[in-house]
Amino acid sequence: MSLELKTHNEETVIVRIGKALDFRNASDFKAQCQEQVQEGARNFILDFSDTGILDSTGLGSIFSLYRQVSPLNGQVVFASVSRPVQVVVQLTRTYKVFRQFPSVEAAQDTLA
Amino acid sequence: MLAEHHTFCDLDALIDQVHHLFTQWERDERFAPSLGVDDLHRLKLAVHEWLANLVQHAHFNGHDPVISLSVEVQDDGIQCTISDNSDGFNLDDELTLRSTSLESLPERGMGLLMLQACTKRLSYTRVQGSVQKLEFVVSTQDNPWLKIQFS
Repeated sequence: MSLELKTHNEETVIVRIGKALDFRNASDFKAQCQEQVQEGARNFILDFSDTGILDSTGLGSIFSLYRQVSPLNGQVVFASVSRPVQVVVQLTRTYKVFRQFPSVEAAQDTLA
Repeated sequence: MLAEHHTFCDLDALIDQVHHLFTQWERDERFAPSLGVDDLHRLKLAVHEWLANLVQHAHFNGHDPVISLSVEVQDDGIQCTISDNSDGFNLDDELTLRSTSLESLPERGMGLLMLQACTKRLSYTRVQGSVQKLEFVVSTQDNPWLKIQFS
């Protein structure tokens, strides 16, 4: 359930979500992203390529990050969205808030 | 009818054990063609939300937890029953409270509403003694959604 954060440039961070973003690691996600924001990050690319579950608490932690970076003109975007995550995106209509990209590279190109 | 029944006794391992089951079912196409891949993921989400609620909030009043999961393919979807030996709570009251107090871009309080949104015929009742039973159907014909305010 380990999250991997990688700095793309001084404003953009890639977060490899891994198997799950749920009630068990949502607070860890929130804390690690908050630390990045304090260090100057504004844009977050969430890589869901291997993710089997995104639950309500995980989605809530992404909303929290979005609320934090929006006033800073930052963005939270989804990349390489797996089928289980797409089900949650459709159920909650969050595609209206979070842009989706087919790959991390495509997201990087757009946010560059 | 195609069906599966499983019982779990370790709350700490519960979520991983159930996720493992779903991974097996998807890999083996256990419920295909009755249930599509997205229907299976919706079922997994509904089951996960309920179990997450049990793990985080249920009171077992000194009993060792016993949780049973049953799924059965029906004509219009998949029937799911999850029984537990917790103290239980009034699900209808909780759903009403959550739906009327949900904030914009909420950080908490969406779990039971997501469960409700992707199921039908949802109920949680005491069946005997200290056994509670959650029942619902995940439809293969609907395109459900949960209304969340984004601004």
